[in-house]
Amino acid sequence: MKFQKELKDSIRKALPELDVVIGWCGSFDPLHATPHFIRREEDIEKLEIGPLSVHNLATYLPGLRGKKVGIVVKGCDSRSVIELLQEKLIARDDITIFGFPCTGVVDQAKIKKALGYVGNVESCDMSDKSVVIVAAGKAHSLELSDVLADKCHSCRYPDAIISDIFVGDKSGEAVPAPADYEALATFENLSLPDRFGFWLKELDRCIRCYACRSACPLCVCRDHCAAESREPHWLSQENNVRDKLMFQVIHAYHLAGRCTECGECQRACPVDIPVLMLKQKMNKEIRDIFKYEAGVDPEETPPLLSFKMEEENITEKDW
Amino acid sequence: MALVKYLKSTDLKSWLAELAQENRVFAPRYEGEAVIFAPFDPEQEIFIKYAATAPPKKTVFPQSERLVDFMYSKDPEDLSRIKIEAQEVLPQGTAVVFGGRPCDVRGFTMFDRVYMAEEATDIYYKARRDNTSFITLACDATENTCFCHWVNSSPSDPTGSDVLAIPVEGGFLLKAVSDRGETLLTSQLLSAGENRVEEGERVCKEVADSLSQAPDLANSPKKLLEVFDNIEFWQDVSAKCLSCGTCTYLCPTCYCFNITDETQGMKGSRIRSWDNCMSALFTMEASGHNPRPTKAHRLKNRVGHKFSYYPDLHDGVISCCGCGRCIKSCPAGVDIREIVLKAIAFEPTVVEG
Amino acid sequence: MNNKNLYLPEMATIQEVIEETHNIITFRVTLNNQEAMKNFSFQPGNVGQLSAFGIGESTFVINSPPSRMEYLQFSVMRSGEVTSNLHTLKAGDQIGVRAPLGNHFPYEDMKGKDIVFVGGGIGMAPLRTLLLFMLDNRSDYGKITLLYGARSPLDMAFNYELQDWLDRDDLDTYLTIDAEFEGWKHNVGLIPNVLLDIAPSAENSVAITCGPPIMIKFTLQALEKLGFKDEQIVTTLEKRMKCGVGICGRCNIGSSYVCKDGPVYTGAQLKELPNEL
Repeated sequence: MKFQKELKDSIRKALPELDVVIGWCGSFDPLHATPHFIRREEDIEKLEIGPLSVHNLATYLPGLRGKKVGIVVKGCDSRSVIELLQEKLIARDDITIFGFPCTGVVDQAKIKKALGYVGNVESCDMSDKSVVIVAAGKAHSLELSDVLADKCHSCRYPDAIISDIFVGDKSGEAVPAPADYEALATFENLSLPDRFGFWLKELDRCIRCYACRSACPLCVCRDHCAAESREPHWLSQENNVRDKLMFQVIHAYHLAGRCTECGECQRACPVDIPVLMLKQKMNKEIRDIFKYEAGVDPEETPPLLSFKMEEENITEKDW
Repeated sequence: MALVKYLKSTDLKSWLAELAQENRVFAPRYEGEAVIFAPFDPEQEIFIKYAATAPPKKTVFPQSERLVDFMYSKDPEDLSRIKIEAQEVLPQGTAVVFGGRPCDVRGFTMFDRVYMAEEATDIYYKARRDNTSFITLACDATENTCFCHWVNSSPSDPTGSDVLAIPVEGGFLLKAVSDRGETLLTSQLLSAGENRVEEGERVCKEVADSLSQAPDLANSPKKLLEVFDNIEFWQDVSAKCLSCGTCTYLCPTCYCFNITDETQGMKGSRIRSWDNCMSALFTMEASGHNPRPTKAHRLKNRVGHKFSYYPDLHDGVISCCGCGRCIKSCPAGVDIREIVLKAIAFEPTVVEG
Repeated sequence: MNNKNLYLPEMATIQEVIEETHNIITFRVTLNNQEAMKNFSFQPGNVGQLSAFGIGESTFVINSPPSRMEYLQFSVMRSGEVTSNLHTLKAGDQIGVRAPLGNHFPYEDMKGKDIVFVGGGIGMAPLRTLLLFMLDNRSDYGKITLLYGARSPLDMAFNYELQDWLDRDDLDTYLTIDAEFEGWKHNVGLIPNVLLDIAPSAENSVAITCGPPIMIKFTLQALEKLGFKDEQIVTTLEKRMKCGVGICGRCNIGSSYVCKDGPVYTGAQLKELPNEL
């Protein structure tokens, strides 16, 4: 990335005042990146940003409360930061936000599917248009757009909405188009038994690792989650799909109007369950009822965290 | 020489269908973008192109199982009294697991030392372990995350298996590893395998040779104890950990569990379910005290258990089979190899004076 | 190989419930299977898991001594979900028991020695089993000193036998509470300080201490001042436990499983373990 040097320079300048700066660096193979915690000057050189920078680093912020933290954000990640600020789960003065113009990140599941078997990855070259992966002695050339995450195709905020330091040139539209939930609409058109059957089938393979919860930047109950709580005893620990679905419903409800659809829940799922769709459904309803979109304005209050005597679009008194 | 047979790939499903007449048969299946072990279904494809996302751990150690059923009833003599009856629920039947990898199946041998110890045997585990046979698929390729050869194993290690299936031209060379394995190789679908033994050996050797040099982990038990009190070390290596349970639940050797009571009306069950040392609740005491209060403490225990405490108790055997799932499936890319090597290489800074 | 079901509790009947303090009760239970009760054997220091079916299990020391087998006694302090439920049980109710579990006090090694018990709060429970066992085998041991402290007289368990302990000629009993309390005739002061005042000799002695972590910490320091060596000190540890037989994996300190290898440790053994209490 052309502004990577600029980013490193600004981190170098800010680091003496900060406990840590979180970015990304290379991981166990050339096809993966991993969150990188920069504490010392010599850690800066390892920083790499690009289409492999998939992780939403805002997830780490509530756990670092009280520390001076720098964070590198994509546009979508910055919305989680805004949401955390809105809910006063982090303090604005404690964080330094480094933004950059994101051009999309990959979906590893799509790469795996395109390659059939990835095998031993020897190299991975990314350009604006293509990805060339050499694995198990064979070169595979893929169109970048074919392996970008779904959220990137409909991205409306490629540039960080909030930042202290922005490197590179802003690329996004000033006024983004409203979210469309096209894929969701197709699913919603299925019959109720079909939709229910879909979830029973998908969630059957859930291993209850709760990576969906742990990777979520807005799942902040942490050690007091309904998933394991005995008092109250919401969920059984039995391996049945009813409890797995129940957890996902609780998760989606907790996130209604707060979720910024970063997709970390789904990306983190080791068995690829499309759990993001449940949150998108909630957000679509929130959009229609409250004309609200999460994580855009730090001064806003999420609709389900506020109270109005008269809601414009809830007509209970007309019954 | 042990019994060897040949199975044509095209006969695989028919063979498993035969085995399914007498046993519950599990095989890997592609679901979503994941590969999981599921009951054999002749209508579904068996997916063996690469190792499954989740190992077949659940076939012997289910995600949850009933240990004891209990029932309350009012005492007819005195209605203020509740009578309780409790009854054990033992697993029944036999199973055959096809398509686990050598690392997956070897994982059970780490369970065995704990669950089938002389002084206290877990009869639930033992009932399944004794009645489950493993037809293990030797690996014909490796991934960046594979490190079975670091922990005294190899891509064709038969330890813990009953039959080792080696992919050869057009099918599999099936080698009986145990007596039970020999009894699995009686089907008319199988033909003589002696003429393919050489090819099988070549496949195994090629894969083994493709692995890079393994580091020496002999020092890991000692070195991990040396860094035990170095909280900065553990904060550093655990910084990106999200405290989810992916690594433990996908691990073929992670054997920790929880016991909880679940009731419905006047009856209920005491169940055992997978538990996860990366969760704060795992060690949280009723008083609110937690001996492992942060993810740094918890990751230290996970790595320490596998590479120090377990070997200390079990003849130096490292309780990791090198399958690499904890690395590959970690949403944050925590790499256990990196942590162990860092601990081994760690030299405390000597403070002069 | 042993085919006993490690997780199936024996059904037992609560014979008596004693309200010890505002948050501690004591159960006296007998196993319903008379044969099992007759053959039940354990060592001082062994623990058991009590079941509230539908809620779960929790670990408690058997605080009656093996020399008195008409019932098994457990004292339960209310703190979590299981203990709160156990507090609702009354005499005649059914309870599940998995026992004995864990190791025991090395009382054989203590023969011929002077014994110093230092107990704080509910930590008196594990000491009680050993104390009574020693009193029942009095000639095997030298001088026995007991220092038992609690926050206030209202927090002191085993009230019904304290007078007997104070009156005995073959036992030096000291009681202490943290702050002055109307009608209190014994010591006032924190356990470690009172211990330093009593100043039992370390010569041919063993000290056995149990109580809240902070009390243990300062008691160990006091014992050290009095000349007690690590191998002369015995204590018990507590951890969250589930299986009770060293399998489920949560109560370990390094390679030692508190449920199976503990709960009794000598000071010397503790020093060998990684620092994770």
